[in-house]
Amino acid sequence: MAFLGVFVFAGVGGESVGLEVSVNDYYDATNLADGWIYSANLDDDFVDDVNNLSPTKDSERQLVIDSVADFSNDPEITLHFIENNTISKFYLLEGEDVNVSDEDGVWLDKEFADAKHLKVGDNISFTFNGVTIEKEIKGLGYSPEYVYHASDSSIIPDFNKIGFAYLSYKAFPLSDVPYNVLLVDFDGSPTEYNDLLSDKLDGDYNSFVEQSEHPSVSQFSEEMDQHKMMGDIFPVVFILIALLILLTTMTRIIAHQRTQIGILKSVGYTNRGIIFHYVSYGFWLVLAGAILGLIIGPLTLPNLFYPSMSATYILPEWKPAWSMNFVYVAVLMVLSSLAVSFLAVRSISKENPADTIRPKAPKISSSGFVEKLGFWNKLGFNIRWNYRDAKRNKFRALMTIIGVIGCTALLVSAFGMYDGMHDLKEWEYSQINHYDSKLIIDDEASISSVDDIADEVNGDKLMEGAIEIESDTAKKSGSLLVLNDTSLVTPTDYDWNEIEIGDDEVSISQKMADLLDVGVGDTVKWHIMGSDKWVSTKIDKIHADPISQGFVMSADKLEDLDLNYTPTSIVTSEHVDKNYSDIKAVNSMDDMTSSWDEMTESMMLLVYILIFFACLLAIVVLYNLGLLSFTEIEREIATLKVLGFKTSALRRLLLTQNLWFTAIGFILGLPVGYYILDIMWQSSGDSFYILPSISISNFILTAVITFALSILVNLMFSRKIKKLDMVESLKGVE
Amino acid sequence: MSTLIEFKDVVKEYKSGDHVLRAMDNVNFTIDEGEFVVILGPSGAGKSTLLNLLGGLDSTTSGQIIVNGEHVENFNDNELTKYRAKNVGFIFQFYNLIPNLTAIENVELMKDIVDVNIDGNAVLDSVGLTGHANQFPAQLSGGEQQRVSIARAVAKQPAMLLCDEPTGALDSKTGVLILNLLQEMSNNKNTTVIIVTHNAILAEAADKVIRIKNGQIEDITINEHPKKVDELEW
Repeated sequence: MAFLGVFVFAGVGGESVGLEVSVNDYYDATNLADGWIYSANLDDDFVDDVNNLSPTKDSERQLVIDSVADFSNDPEITLHFIENNTISKFYLLEGEDVNVSDEDGVWLDKEFADAKHLKVGDNISFTFNGVTIEKEIKGLGYSPEYVYHASDSSIIPDFNKIGFAYLSYKAFPLSDVPYNVLLVDFDGSPTEYNDLLSDKLDGDYNSFVEQSEHPSVSQFSEEMDQHKMMGDIFPVVFILIALLILLTTMTRIIAHQRTQIGILKSVGYTNRGIIFHYVSYGFWLVLAGAILGLIIGPLTLPNLFYPSMSATYILPEWKPAWSMNFVYVAVLMVLSSLAVSFLAVRSISKENPADTIRPKAPKISSSGFVEKLGFWNKLGFNIRWNYRDAKRNKFRALMTIIGVIGCTALLVSAFGMYDGMHDLKEWEYSQINHYDSKLIIDDEASISSVDDIADEVNGDKLMEGAIEIESDTAKKSGSLLVLNDTSLVTPTDYDWNEIEIGDDEVSISQKMADLLDVGVGDTVKWHIMGSDKWVSTKIDKIHADPISQGFVMSADKLEDLDLNYTPTSIVTSEHVDKNYSDIKAVNSMDDMTSSWDEMTESMMLLVYILIFFACLLAIVVLYNLGLLSFTEIEREIATLKVLGFKTSALRRLLLTQNLWFTAIGFILGLPVGYYILDIMWQSSGDSFYILPSISISNFILTAVITFALSILVNLMFSRKIKKLDMVESLKGVE
Repeated sequence: MSTLIEFKDVVKEYKSGDHVLRAMDNVNFTIDEGEFVVILGPSGAGKSTLLNLLGGLDSTTSGQIIVNGEHVENFNDNELTKYRAKNVGFIFQFYNLIPNLTAIENVELMKDIVDVNIDGNAVLDSVGLTGHANQFPAQLSGGEQQRVSIARAVAKQPAMLLCDEPTGALDSKTGVLILNLLQEMSNNKNTTVIIVTHNAILAEAADKVIRIKNGQIEDITINEHPKKVDELEW
């Protein structure tokens, strides 16, 4: 048990710490930029100005431009024309090092190259702004800016359709490269740097993005947060469970050795010798388990999670890491089991050996107020006996209830997670969005051709974009959805009821409102990412959306705010599989739901692990404590059997107690599980909005599992009752 | 008086590994209804084995045990349980009361296993425990606990009371009171009482004395004029 507890703790912990270490090593090795300054015109003067700011350590200009590579599916490749390779360096895996004065070479995304079976030495051509360039692949690798890289419309990256490439500025067809991004390394906090920039160079650039706001970085750090949450909450729960199990087991084993301890004492062993013997017996086992867990946990468990993650995120290396916390926990575990066994042995060894050889004498029970109530005398023997037994053995009762609470809480959070993921999918992909296909409009497309396509597929246009919203208390990045009178995308409230957002209204999502601490009637400032035009808006409504947090408004309202309405996609209820020149990609609802399923795979794994542990916990705790109580009441059971009670009646006697405790634990476990679930969803990242809930069927399943386990454990005891040798157990004392 | 119990050629063997121990070797005797019987014998003679077989706690290797015309030796576990519930009232050396239940609850417990209406207070009165009904076993003296145990045994009106060294854990004064009570039960209520003991003095008070040794019947004596327990010289 010690092994299992430490194993899971160190394993899950090792995964989350490992992620952090892996990604930080990667960012360090490639010197990921601390910030990005976007501007249409990055001339030498501007670069000098930035370099002259005192915190600036280094800067590098790039031209970042979207292109289409020459393949039948028109994959979208982001080209980086670079002056030098010092910030956000290309991470080379194959081929030669990046040469910033090489006119003919390109350093290509390895994932894309693999998807297209491209090798170093092959040629590839890209088209952008009507120009086509053909280059030779000099190297393959990764980039720290592309840990997470997905197209606008899908969550899971499809490396057949998307990629990036690094080229020398000399590879650009014109000698005057229109640089548009300045990567900077600086000292101090990003906020200070941002303030400094807007103070000194206001108007000379469009926007500044700090490292933590970069889409790839923020997506990955959100993922890390999720894993950290997993790495923080669950291991703690597991450790507590393991501890509970360990403690009950220790108590049981030692209680079982009672007579032997008595014999050892009566033949002359010292108390100290006895305590030492029994404590060390448990100590070595627990220590061995803990050490084994410490070693094997981080080596195995992370590898269970990494494969499903590496489908979404690109890191050169996925390594588990180790933290001193694991050792502390292991030590805590060993010490507490040591303490419990010490206390248990000491209490026995303190007794007179003559008493110790006999089974433990029953404690005196006294009548409580319950017995004085009128109905007490009408209760059956079964209930009276169980009530008094529980009263006499409060520790055992408490441990049993805690065990059941743990089991129920784990089951509720596991099933709740399952339901949450399921609800989210249902909510997002059938309640809010009910189109069949989504056509992503190319950035260069003309308005008229977009309109033509929309007409042809009977579709509605919408605009989606990244925005940043600022309230008095907080600043958050979110998303903007501009609708133009469509029935295919319908915002809902948190009860999934469709809500109407008027032409002159702005609605904010519930989660975003919570994050910004604003409500209907409040005014917030916001701007579209990539533009530094801030506008103020009054919030008229609140809607709820599970995966995108921000604003929903009409095109009219957007234009009222003096912002351009530029549709980014067309949604239609028709199934489209035709290619249009002005359409970058067509995503069907099926694609989206299946990529969602893929992304939630690792969550599901966690759900199964949780359910497994919940069951294990319930069985071991109930069995341990059941056995503990069985040894104590063996004589009573034997007496009742002699008096003529049937095995079934005696089984019912024990079952009644188990069921009572299970019922109490179950009822108390529900809010605990609900609370864990709530914490989990809250820490699942800023963009998710899921209400903790559990479906009726899973709720019933939780109840069924909990009670079934309780009955199962009881069945184990009914065999013992049947086999119980009446003559022997009654003789015991003489 | 009619015969209540009959042992016919009863053999009981215990096996441990290759070793066979014959604890009961061709035992034959009868006990009549309402008799006050004392079974005497030294330790290891087979007294407890006899009691266990008669009480339905153990099964014979061969031979017949007939109680009320029924063949106990053929009973399965379930039938044995029913037999114990209906016919046998046990009284143990260490009382074996249920510590979680009060005196009266220990007695009324029997309602759960037999179809007899039990007035717990009346039964406790009859064993001289008026006023102790709501005390827990741990709050009672040894003699009082044994009385509760007798009350529990007689409450269900069994065909026989089986007493295994009922005074073994009591001082002699209290022991006499308990034995007196048992004898009265036999005389006044026509209950068959079977006491297993190694205390030979008790023989004079019995209607019938069965002496066993090495698993065999040594001797069966019938006292035409048994003494009262309190007339015995202890």
